[in-house]
Amino acid sequence: MRNVLFSAILLLFFGGLLYLAADLPFGDPLRTDMDDYFIRNAQAQTGANNVVTSIVFDFRGFDTLGEATVLFTAVLGVGMMFRKLKEGEEYEND
Amino acid sequence: MTPFLLLQALVLLGLIVTAVLIISFKDLLAAALAFAAFSLLLSLEFYLLQAPDVAIAEAGIGAGLTTAIFIIAIRGTQRHEEKN
Amino acid sequence: MKMTKIVRTTADLFFPFCLVFGLYVVVHGHLTPGGGFQGGAVMATGTALLLVARAYDDVTGRIRKGAMKVCEAAGLLIFLCAGFSGLFAGRPFMANWLAPDGALFRTSIAHGPNAGDLNTAGLLPLLNVGVGIEVLGGLTVILLYMLSGIKEEKKK
Repeated sequence: MRNVLFSAILLLFFGGLLYLAADLPFGDPLRTDMDDYFIRNAQAQTGANNVVTSIVFDFRGFDTLGEATVLFTAVLGVGMMFRKLKEGEEYEND
Repeated sequence: MTPFLLLQALVLLGLIVTAVLIISFKDLLAAALAFAAFSLLLSLEFYLLQAPDVAIAEAGIGAGLTTAIFIIAIRGTQRHEEKN
Repeated sequence: MKMTKIVRTTADLFFPFCLVFGLYVVVHGHLTPGGGFQGGAVMATGTALLLVARAYDDVTGRIRKGAMKVCEAAGLLIFLCAGFSGLFAGRPFMANWLAPDGALFRTSIAHGPNAGDLNTAGLLPLLNVGVGIEVLGGLTVILLYMLSGIKEEKKK
């Protein structure tokens, strides 16, 4: 009984979500000022044919620097978790 | 219905089928491989929506590395889910 | 769980092709879809294939943990140095100062669809290579750490 009720609520929720989302325009953003600017000027300003790369590495370069730092920090964390124990050192039990 | 829409509907149907397969398999290795198939179909869907950059990243990370990490973890533990 | 000979041979055959394709994606990052992160992930997938197919002791001869750590740090250093080089040229941090009139990667391109040239885009190829090396090293080091942890537990 509870499973049926739960499924009905879930179905109703996602049905309503789909019904509402069906009217949204797809691939047709409201404001296109920045898109037009990038598509018109990216090749001239960065000299790269790939506009996506010119945005990721040039116009939004700080984001990529942060992403590289996040990856570096994640690897540091994994390295600390799996490090070799020294002679006579033991895992802490609490 | 155009062939493009038909292909997209097939890929989306495959996504749902593989997603159900992932949670229904009791053999964990089979579940990991179903997850790889899910990621591959997802990257195909990204490619159909004209985002090749995201498609390459999804194919590399999702289908390749995540599956490898799962398989290494299964190798260290045990392969079959226990009945309770 | 030991892999069969078929899996091991296939992984050995695929490994160099994965590396070459990843390198292609990284180097052509400013011309074709892809870039540093995607190409590095493809290269790391090649090493992951080898790590899954073989035991840890078989792999350490071809993929060394120390070299991968150096790769990771060197990638981030290349990225930072390329970013700071803009300051010495009198432009802001991370400015693409090589693009119009630098010494390297300076060929200018026409607007609109064209065939493309590797020798373009100023600082972007350097940043691409840096991120590619970092992603390859970082992901491979994570996999190697996890695999070495499993080996220790089996020995007990």
